[in-house]
Amino acid sequence: MSRNLTSIRNLKQSEIQDLLKLAAEFKKGINHDTPMKSHGNKVIGLLFFENSTRTRVSFEQAANYLGYRVSSFAAQSSSLSKGETLKDTLLTLKGERLDALVMRHRSSGSANLAARFFGGPIVNAGDGEHEHPTQALGDALTILEKKRHFQGLKVAIVGDILHSRVARSNAWLLSKMGAELHFVGPKMLMPTDGGRLPGAIHHDLLAGIEGADVIMCLRLQKERMSDGLLSSVGEFRRMYQVNRETLKVAKDDCLVMHPGPLNRGIELDDFAADGPNSVIHRQVENGIFVRMAALHWVFEGNGESK
Amino acid sequence: MKIILKNGRILDPSQELDVIGNVIIEDEVVVEVGSDVEVEEDADEIIDCTGLWITPGLVDMHVHLREPGEEQKETIATATQAAAAGGFTTVCCMPNTNPPLDNAALIDFILDRAASPLAGGVFVAPVGSLTEGNRGDRISNLEAMRKAGIVAASDEGCATQNSKVMNRAMEYCNQLDLPILAHCEDYTLSDGGVMNEGAVSAMLGLKGMPRSAEEVMVMRNCLLSLHTGCQVHIMRVSTWGAVEMIRQAKYLGARVTCETCPQYLCLTEEMMADFAPEFKTTPPLRTQVDIDLLMQALADGTIDVIASDHSPHADYEVQVPFDEAPFGMAGLESCLSVTLTHVTHSGVLSPLETIRKLSTAPAKILRLDAGTLRPGDSPVAQVTLIDPELKWKFDVQKTFSKGKNTPFNGMELKGKAVLTISGSEIYRDASFDNARVTSIN
Repeated sequence: MSRNLTSIRNLKQSEIQDLLKLAAEFKKGINHDTPMKSHGNKVIGLLFFENSTRTRVSFEQAANYLGYRVSSFAAQSSSLSKGETLKDTLLTLKGERLDALVMRHRSSGSANLAARFFGGPIVNAGDGEHEHPTQALGDALTILEKKRHFQGLKVAIVGDILHSRVARSNAWLLSKMGAELHFVGPKMLMPTDGGRLPGAIHHDLLAGIEGADVIMCLRLQKERMSDGLLSSVGEFRRMYQVNRETLKVAKDDCLVMHPGPLNRGIELDDFAADGPNSVIHRQVENGIFVRMAALHWVFEGNGESK
Repeated sequence: MKIILKNGRILDPSQELDVIGNVIIEDEVVVEVGSDVEVEEDADEIIDCTGLWITPGLVDMHVHLREPGEEQKETIATATQAAAAGGFTTVCCMPNTNPPLDNAALIDFILDRAASPLAGGVFVAPVGSLTEGNRGDRISNLEAMRKAGIVAASDEGCATQNSKVMNRAMEYCNQLDLPILAHCEDYTLSDGGVMNEGAVSAMLGLKGMPRSAEEVMVMRNCLLSLHTGCQVHIMRVSTWGAVEMIRQAKYLGARVTCETCPQYLCLTEEMMADFAPEFKTTPPLRTQVDIDLLMQALADGTIDVIASDHSPHADYEVQVPFDEAPFGMAGLESCLSVTLTHVTHSGVLSPLETIRKLSTAPAKILRLDAGTLRPGDSPVAQVTLIDPELKWKFDVQKTFSKGKNTPFNGMELKGKAVLTISGSEIYRDASFDNARVTSIN
């Protein structure tokens, strides 16, 4: 039996704990060169309809460590460019006996569609502006390693909350684990009715990150300027950059995080990006272990579709 | 041929009639109606209507037939069969077909197809494109289309954005005495949106359509109606704010009427949490507060009409990622029952007021010879028998419409049209008890 990992919102706290525990075990095993238990002859399709190097490579690495074989597709070479629908692509891949799919697609909810037509297991590697569950798990593992717990941590997520799947998955995950969430950003990049997302909303950076244990910066997408959602990059930088100065209002040992790729000098200055508080590289590394955990988890599931 | 409908609850808002009585149909027209109508047992057929409502045939003023051009979604034949099954004897078809209904030849085509023996026997009242090609810049040849048989003009599916064009269109339609059915949406505000902008869109990461996209245009159209004197019917109102604008416009004396649809009276944005494209419609499903205030507006008469906005799509068009799915849901066969279940049985509207919104009011707005049982007022008998207490489960696989895109599939409903007459009988539901019919000859 298998299960799907399409969102964090639908996971129980205990399932998140299981995944993080599993990831930590995998990390320990790999760091100590412990031989991996064979996971059988499974073939995982990596279906990336959006450009992504880091997430795809991270999943590839995870699969390699677990001994899975990988079949990789990119949007440009898929039949979708010939007009095939996503549903038909999914049915074809099912017919071709792939054992699981890791999918990234520009449409929110596409992972649910995949679950409907492919069946499972499905791991959502980012669906539109909806969720990016394994990114959030990697971030959580990083926080856990540094802070040892989540309970009561003040976490500020800074930037374009409205369009960020990373922000959403992180918000669900960290709030379920007991952290206190603060969203910081301009009104145009904030959900109109933020009430449903679990956290407080701030339009002032200093108020939002004051006393923070963790600051997560989000990548500012340049196309938001052409949307007219932002007046200019300069204005955003002046108002929302996390840097040597603004970091002073956070806790001394505040973690600085970023899901990458970062616009150096916009969301973060060099001090914040490379300084002692930064855990950005550790996030990348931990991404592999949580993806191992995710793949293991969906294959070894109990039949519940999540 | 003489048919007697005996002992039913006659609900005819055109005569403010709510009595137990009989209806006599002779040679396809209603000849007698009322509680004091004597029934001689000389008819060809006597139908025992005990426990049933006898109502004027229902009129759906907002239907997409999809023909010409999108026959994969629906055809005039399948839609009119679906209409008959839903209790409707007249449907108004929207002009956003391919090509759009912007000339008299296409109006002739629609009327010919609707009259074909393959069609459902339901009257089709065509609505012409307000502007050429639905492009929103030049007003169509509305007089020629009026002669060909249109009952209104509309920019449905492609809301007129340019206020100057809309103003001129209203002046012209006022001269021609032609109502405008207005699709109210400011595309710069709704741009790219796929659901209501709010808590749920934020949660799902879907682009929202703000309520202001609807309300800004409702307000503009109400004001232009007030200034030009043109009769304007606001289509599918979904927000409490839009209702409030219309209430004010009516108070100011504007010739404005409006409709809402069953989906806006019982479904909310919350139901989209699993990205089911069957719930994707424009304007989008809103919130419980909107539902509560729409119900109030139905009860106080601000909302004149309930229409289905029947928007069928082929399965393959809907089974795509949510943001790529087309807007709209099939509704002809669920409209009456969903309304009875959520509006009538919940006490918001009396049975008589329900039938007014579903028949008499739309007929009056469009000046159709329909929506009444009064002898002589309709050249052909249009009558619907409704079993108000019938409990059933909506099964999309049993519908006549090609469009299986409905959020009501599987829903438990109470009340159903069991027999539809347009001249002669055009639909008899499987649940209709045939023992009710006595054939004399």
